[in-house]
Amino acid sequence: MSDLFTIPLEIVRQEAVAPAACTAEEYAARAHYYRLLAGAFIEEPGRDYLAALRTPESLEALAELGVTFDNDFIDPTPDELQETLACEYTVLFASSGGFPPVESVRLKGGFQQDPCFAAREFYAKEGFSVGAGRFQVFDDQLGVELQFIAALMDRIVIAMQRGDNQEQRRLEKSVKRFWAQHLGRWVRGYAALVERAASHSFYRETAMLLDAFAAFELELLGLDVTDEDQGRMELPPLAGADEPMRCGA
Amino acid sequence: MLKLTRRTFLKASAGTTAAAVAAPSMLRAMEADLGGRDIDPVSLIERKSIPTNCHVCNIQDGALAFVENGRVVKLEGNPEHVSTRGRLCAKGNAGMWYSYDPDRILYPLKRVGKRGEGKWKRISWDEAYNEIAARLDDVLTNGHPNEIMLKWGRNRTGGVLERFMHTLGSATILNHTSVCESSKKIGMEPTWGPDIEMPDFANTKYVLNFGSNVLEAAYFHNPFSQRVTEGRVDSNMKIVTFDVRLSNTAGFSDEWIPVYPGTDGAVALALGHVILRENLQDSDFIENWTNVSVQELKDHYKQFTPEWAAKLSGVPVETIERIAREFATTKPATTYTYRGPAKHMYGSYNEKACMMLPIMTGNIEKRGGYCLPRGMGYDQPQPQPPKPATPSYLAHPDEYPLAGHKVSHLVPFWITEGKQKIKVYFSYQDNPVYTNPGADAVWGELFRNEELIPFYVCLSPFMGEEAQLADIILPDVPYLERWEPESMPSSLWPWLAIRQPVIKPLGEGKETRVYLQELIHKLDPDGSRGMKKFWGFKSAEDYLRKQFENIPGLKEAGGLDFLKKHGVWPIYGKLNPRTGKISDKSGREIAAEYGLYRKELSAADMAGAMVDGKGAIHKNGKVIGVQRKGRNYVGFPTHDRLINVRVDQWAEYGFNPMPTFKRMPWHENMKDDEMILTTFKLNVHKQSRTAAVKWLAEISHANPAWLGTETAAKLGIKTGDLIRIESGVGHIVTKALVTEGIHPKVIAVSTAHGHWGYGRLAQLKLKEAAGQYGAADDPDLKNVWWDDKGVHPNHIIPAVADPIGGSQGWYDTVVKVSKAQPGDKYGDMVADWNKHVQWYKEGMRYTYVGDMHRKMHPEMASWAGPDSVKHKATGGH
Repeated sequence: MSDLFTIPLEIVRQEAVAPAACTAEEYAARAHYYRLLAGAFIEEPGRDYLAALRTPESLEALAELGVTFDNDFIDPTPDELQETLACEYTVLFASSGGFPPVESVRLKGGFQQDPCFAAREFYAKEGFSVGAGRFQVFDDQLGVELQFIAALMDRIVIAMQRGDNQEQRRLEKSVKRFWAQHLGRWVRGYAALVERAASHSFYRETAMLLDAFAAFELELLGLDVTDEDQGRMELPPLAGADEPMRCGA
Repeated sequence: MLKLTRRTFLKASAGTTAAAVAAPSMLRAMEADLGGRDIDPVSLIERKSIPTNCHVCNIQDGALAFVENGRVVKLEGNPEHVSTRGRLCAKGNAGMWYSYDPDRILYPLKRVGKRGEGKWKRISWDEAYNEIAARLDDVLTNGHPNEIMLKWGRNRTGGVLERFMHTLGSATILNHTSVCESSKKIGMEPTWGPDIEMPDFANTKYVLNFGSNVLEAAYFHNPFSQRVTEGRVDSNMKIVTFDVRLSNTAGFSDEWIPVYPGTDGAVALALGHVILRENLQDSDFIENWTNVSVQELKDHYKQFTPEWAAKLSGVPVETIERIAREFATTKPATTYTYRGPAKHMYGSYNEKACMMLPIMTGNIEKRGGYCLPRGMGYDQPQPQPPKPATPSYLAHPDEYPLAGHKVSHLVPFWITEGKQKIKVYFSYQDNPVYTNPGADAVWGELFRNEELIPFYVCLSPFMGEEAQLADIILPDVPYLERWEPESMPSSLWPWLAIRQPVIKPLGEGKETRVYLQELIHKLDPDGSRGMKKFWGFKSAEDYLRKQFENIPGLKEAGGLDFLKKHGVWPIYGKLNPRTGKISDKSGREIAAEYGLYRKELSAADMAGAMVDGKGAIHKNGKVIGVQRKGRNYVGFPTHDRLINVRVDQWAEYGFNPMPTFKRMPWHENMKDDEMILTTFKLNVHKQSRTAAVKWLAEISHANPAWLGTETAAKLGIKTGDLIRIESGVGHIVTKALVTEGIHPKVIAVSTAHGHWGYGRLAQLKLKEAAGQYGAADDPDLKNVWWDDKGVHPNHIIPAVADPIGGSQGWYDTVVKVSKAQPGDKYGDMVADWNKHVQWYKEGMRYTYVGDMHRKMHPEMASWAGPDSVKHKATGGH
């Protein structure tokens, strides 16, 4: 049975509800947030990305949203910060014992399970395929899924500029469906998990932003999707998680 | 006119049963089909089936992977495989979870904290190559290539790792065999050539099974289990098992005889004594095909009386006498051994004593008997790098000249002693920190020491107790994503096979031969260092094509393309899935070939040959066969083409060249409250890499210590009680399982459990901080109902080695067992490096240069001492 059949009926009913009307400017702004968040999770943050994020304007804008980084993000040199975050990224997301930002892992307990292929199929229907960045990524990696929505929103903006209402509605429906079938099912719980587990304020704060943004988007899309990821509810305290694993008393 | 009455009807029925059974049957139960197809139960679409070879453990069963929408959804046996005949064990069925393991390493990782601290940075392959190449370059520039060491646990690369090390010029190549079966191999090889036997279980009438749990775990579990069952059903075979523990094989047997640990050899010698005393031997075979006479053998075996063996082993005299007669008078008969006899300090002697039984009764190479293994080889791409010029001490230590399969488990002590310096250490599918004696207290100690191991590269798709101590981890790929050649002597019908990728590597995982090629190219980009030419293949598939393109028979069948389609190439005919037998093109069964040693040499072989007074046929400085009664036979693959009951090479080093038994020195004067600790494997686990496989973990996830009823009562211990097992090097705290199924002086703990560095499911970190997968849609991971991960026993097992075969004495550890003490808690594993060092030193006293060697061998009083022999390089692999 495909995932489509596991979506609660309430969501399907809500498909009929018209999304909140957005202007082209708003769609562009939303796409911007998707990309901002994708940049944090798709791979280790790059130098340019971090530099842009650390400008006073950017920090101020984020602070207005409630995103406040600690000195561990503000003080280090660009090289130091990039190195620190590369290590933190690896421990959190790309090595054993961490929690990869991958839908298959979060929902199915293993890499490259049904959500990966379903996401790939979704992208293909919209004319996209996933390439590699610095590293290979799975199709259902968080950053990829966020970038996909951003790309759809870019197209919505273009459709709006062309006055192509039919294409706009189709794309809006695609955004909604992708949230219902993919992001909505795991991203909020996962964000809460990262927020709790991260030792660096960059990941703590961006995870918090992701969580809030996901809730915002779902509301805007008029979707009521159950968060299947259990990270939100069941994460116990992190005492001792970063101690070396050793045997013996 | 024919008239049936009830009486004549029944009478005729009884009289014609055999004919009715023999009549061909066309109707078959569908569940008896060997498979080969699979359908999605929802969509009813047939899944894509790709043949490959299993590699969860080392039996190498033929497998089919069913792929649906790019995902491996099911594995089952390959019905074309002549050895495994369409069947996979539980481990094989669960193999796809390796690929999808959320703890899998998918990118090169570089350590950024202290070793073992768990802090890593993801790096690109190019960055990883640069780091490793710089280290290798440093060693090579200084002219000491042996400072580069590679140790593998499971190497099925078909020669790639050896090619890599030889390209670098290093002879420091270590394996895992000394913790596996090396003394079995060394007990057999000098005697008859091969390192393993092929019992014809399906056609035998009698099996003496010494210490093998073949229905669960031993070499070759799956194919042999099938033949053991056939033997029981079709040949009414009797099986007698000597084992310290009531394994499932012992339970299947007609008789289970609990034997005192390590005394199987004594029992075997006493059985031989009775056979020879009562003239039940096959004199013709002994006189013609061994290097001793019947009289020599009788004289030698006089000392091994049943009374002597009974005293050592606890097996009653009358049982020994009866079984000896049964074995010698039931034809055909065979023995089978595995770790029970071999994994002791003098395991090679034990193995040899056991294999003497089919030899002296002439059951060699007969239908239903004890046969030579049938294997097949494949080629190596050319050109090949030359073997390194300078030998490595670690690979062939002077103190163990006969241990042709190495003594790898003692390496940490030798590196610490400075016997050989190591600057770059590679591990490949090898987790000695878990699997070796001493475990973390020995190997963990070594890897944490950056002075002894300055740079450690772990080649592995998974984090483990070893990988977490590495400096760089290269993400190798699990077996469903790789190309490898296969051949195993796992039945009487030889075969060649391949492992082929059924899905593309996940993430940035790469195959061994691919990343080693890229590393060599990094070291020698323009070929000027003479390395690149050995790594000229275009792809992993191209490498395999070169290995298979010139195999006679296979070449005509299509070479690699045939193997890609079928997975396996049986040299004789093919498997008939209806009968499970090998058939020719017309459907007729092809019988196995027996009597390999009696194959006659051709006229061409004999051209220019010379026959000496003993019948040995010499040609070009080698013995190529044996002449008997005017016929020229190929004989056995030994130096003189005979079975060497007397192994002269052993005598050179002061070991007894004839079958003998040596009791474990530290078993001699055990106190009443002391016991012997043994370990064992379960049917759903291998050593170190199955505890995180969800289906297998659910079946078995904990390992309580088996303790005899009588013993437990004396100690006041009940099932479930917390107990402390204390050896000379440390202690563990675990739970007791009180059972009648174990020798009263033995405590047994299974391996595979009690991990502390591998997989969150193995460690039950699912239930700890940051260890969860959400896995909301996975019914298995949502239902991890157990909270016991087991306790690993290897920490408290000292490293001792058979001075002949080099095997670890897994089943020799003397322990005290008591109720847990105040402060003890379940899972405590406490061991001490310094105590392990003391035990290692004690073990070295028994080597041929040690002070205990002569004391253990008073019968070799005429030996001129260690100075009389020069260390020679030995064979083995």
